Parts: sequence; C-alpha cells; structure tokens
Amino acid sequence: MTIRILLVDDHPIVRQGLKTLLEGHSGWEVIGEASDGAEAVEKAKDLNPDVMVLDVTMPRMNGLEACRLLRQECPALEILFVTQHDSPQMMREALEAGARGYVVKSNAARDLLAAVDAVSHHRVFTALNGRNVAELR
Amino acid sequence: MKLRILLADDHEIVRRGLRALLEKHEGWEVCGEASDGREAVEKALQLNPDVVIVDIGMPNLNGLDTTRQLLQHDPHFKVIVLTITDSDQVIREALDAGARGFVLKSDAARDLVSAVEALQNKRMFFTPRVNDLVLAGFLEKGQTVSRNEAPKLPTLTAREREITQLLAEGNSSKEVASLLNLSTKTVETHRSNIMRKLSFHSIRDLVVYAIKNNLIQIELPPPPPKTPTGPGPAAA
Repeated sequence: MTIRILLVDDHPIVRQGLKTLLEGHSGWEVIGEASDGAEAVEKAKDLNPDVMVLDVTMPRMNGLEACRLLRQECPALEILFVTQHDSPQMMREALEAGARGYVVKSNAARDLLAAVDAVSHHRVFTALNGRNVAELR
Repeated sequence: MKLRILLADDHEIVRRGLRALLEKHEGWEVCGEASDGREAVEKALQLNPDVVIVDIGMPNLNGLDTTRQLLQHDPHFKVIVLTITDSDQVIREALDAGARGFVLKSDAARDLVSAVEALQNKRMFFTPRVNDLVLAGFLEKGQTVSRNEAPKLPTLTAREREITQLLAEGNSSKEVASLLNLSTKTVETHRSNIMRKLSFHSIRDLVVYAIKNNLIQIELPPPPPKTPTGPGPAAA
C-alpha cells in the first residue's frame, strides 16, 4: 500500500532534500508540500495524507501549534517532526503535542526513512543527535 | 565544459536539496560535498571547483572563515555564502571575507541558480532582500552599513577565531589541539591570548561572543502558543 506523505518546512530547499530522500523509497509518495503550520493544517484536511513530516520553527504558525490542531482535525494522521532542535525538552513537547516521531534535521538523511516507516505503522520513533535512538511499539 | 560546484553544508538534507536544484541546470555538476568548513577547504583544494557554496553556520569552521581561508589559498575561488540571517553585520562580514554571492537559505530555491549564473558570468549576486536592506540602510538616517560604524571589537587572528569557534562549540583545549593538529600547549596559549584580548574570564563569555559574532549559530525554540492548547497526545 502506498504511504502518502505531506512535507512541511518553510525552506523550499529543505523540502526538496526531504522529497528526494522520501521518493527514493518505493511505495511512498509525497502528495503535497506546505511552508508553515497554517498551510499544513489546510492541506492535511484537503489531501488526507497518512504521514506528515513537520518542522517546528516556521512563520505564521509553528509546528507544535499545527500538531495540536491536527490531532483534533485529522486524528488518523501520523505526525513526524524533523527539526533543528536537538533537545530532549523539545522532543517531549512534540510528543505531548501528539506527534508520533521526532528526528533531528542534521541526522534526517540517516533517520528519516526508518522514522517514516515506524510512524506509518503507528509506532513511536525518536532520535536525538547521537543518543536516545528509540523505536517503540 | 561543465561548471563544477562544491557544496558545503552540515545538513545532508540541505545538500540533497541544493544538489537536486543545481543539477537540474544543464551544464552544471556538483563535483563534491562537505559537511563542515574544514572539509570544504580540503575538498576545494583537491577538486578546484568553479564555484563553492558555503553555509555560514557550519561546525568546526564556520562559512565566513571558510571563505577567508579559501581565498587566502587561492583568490580565484568564487564563493557564494548561504545564510539564515540577513543582518547588516553578517552581510558586511560576508563581503569582508570576499564572498561573491550572498543568498538567504529561505530564498535559495529561487535565487541560488541566479547567483551561480552571475558568478559564472564574472558578476556578483546578492539576494534581492539583501539589496533592499542595504539600500534602506543607506537611505535611512542613522542606519548605515558603513564599516566605520561596525562595533569596535578587538581583532582576533584567523587562528584565534577558529579556536574560539571550536571552544564555544564545547570542545576542550585537548580536543581543539587534536582537530587542528596543534599541541595542547599551543592551544592553551591561543586560548589565553583570546581571553586577554577580549577581557573575558569564562567560557560562557566566549560562547556569548561567538554567537554575537556569528562564529556559531543557534536556533531558538518557537515562542509559546497564544491560544490554549488542544487535547493531549495520541496513544503511542
């Protein structure tokens, strides 16, 4: 079954990098992109993706706020944060906001595929820089 | 003959994005990648690229000092600086370092191809937002980007800046010595000189200095939400 992914980051060049990585995986499709939290919420409602790859720091509405809203609006959607913040505190906030996964941007090329695979199967995946790599059922 | 480009950014995902963007352009190839400034200098000397694209906020050696080192080795290197910030100080430092192009990371998808084309044609490129900012600075009273108005700070040598960055990133003197192939004693001497020149007494002062002077960059967490939060997390 195809996994349909929505990419959300305010930097187009980062979205491009994430997209090339994700589309190299057979059976995964990037069905849309958004550049801030508000657009992410709108597009998630329109496109009904399986997984959202979401940045934290964005203009208009940040990723944490978007995540909290999406938990209400699209309860079936699995959310994976990909962020600069290599911080256990931020990771905790993300999971408390309702995300299923958390990956640090500097390690995205290493961790992203495993993380999307995990969250698409409704498993938690968290990986901070060089420590705490965890995948939980 | 193809235009050969070297990419330096500490995020592989950004390098992937940049590579995908640049390689769509006929006649251009990404001949190499580096994940920090030191590796960028090494690879540039090995590969002799036509254009080097460097991120400012890289570990070990930041993009501005990378640009300085590259041009010290060979003034013919053409460097485009990629940055997340367009502050006057960063623009001025990039120009001082000898960059021929200045592109905001947020605008890279739009501007980077134009920047490389400009350098290919022996011109410089500054992202339009920066041009507006510089112009506004000249036009508005009391806001000039003149070098004369730069804050007066004691001048560190290139080596001292390099060591300051490494110390501010959390490396010990021994680790810095190992990274730079110096003795620990030499690093300790540089460290004392840096602290004396800047009148600092703690590593905390040095970290603040490194952030303020763009030797290292940090990302601040987003501000707390203005509205009450929704329901709790989904079951893991």
